[in-house]
Amino acid sequence: MGRPRGFDEEAVTRQAVALFSARAYDGLSVDDLVTGLGVHRNSLYKTFGSKRGLYLTVLRWYLRHKLEPALSSDTAQLQENDTLDLLLLAAAEQAPHDREVGALVGSALARLDDVLGPDAANQLLGLRLRARINTGE
Amino acid sequence: MAIVTVDNGNLVVEIEGLDKLWALKSRLAIPLANVRGATADPGIAREPKGIRAPGAHIPNVITAGTFHLDGEKVFWDVHDPRKAVVIELADERYARLVIEVEDPRAVVALVESSVR
Repeated sequence: MGRPRGFDEEAVTRQAVALFSARAYDGLSVDDLVTGLGVHRNSLYKTFGSKRGLYLTVLRWYLRHKLEPALSSDTAQLQENDTLDLLLLAAAEQAPHDREVGALVGSALARLDDVLGPDAANQLLGLRLRARINTGE
Repeated sequence: MAIVTVDNGNLVVEIEGLDKLWALKSRLAIPLANVRGATADPGIAREPKGIRAPGAHIPNVITAGTFHLDGEKVFWDVHDPRKAVVIELADERYARLVIEVEDPRAVVALVESSVR
């Protein structure tokens, strides 16, 4: 299938990870994506098929290129930075009613359990969830 | 307004009421293999639509029929942008369909679960 020229799919995917890590899936409109990613709406549809198509591409890319490498470095950092945020958001909002997202999130959590041990993994996810909260301080 | 169903490996889009006249089309059947996905997208109504041929375009009232933009053919049938759904196709006469449906969330879920 033809891809639109001058469209760096990986760069757009990486940028979309940041957008989907910061905002709920339903809270991000196609208008937000078009503006945030700096691509034409038609190119977005042509490349990813749909918003959900983009989201699945983004989630797979994130698990492989962002989360996985982070697990083999200093995992204590993970409560300070935004590496876990897309996993947390996906687990909370898309995974319960989207089987494909559910499977991806499920295997990522299993991987976290393997690397850290289930108790430490749960603790880390809880700590990161709390660290994201804007308490106004 | 359009009704979207899945029947026998096809995505079927039926255009209702007077829109059949404006859009000059009452039914589209597309093999699911050529459907890439669906997205609720109220904002698409503000995008340039290109040149209409054939169909009806009264800005802010009705956009219906076949539009040509950047070498692509797009089928439109939208009165109320809040209920617009974009269905992306491959290897079809139309590059995408932009249609108004009663329940965008349900149509998106139906299409996405049928094609992936």
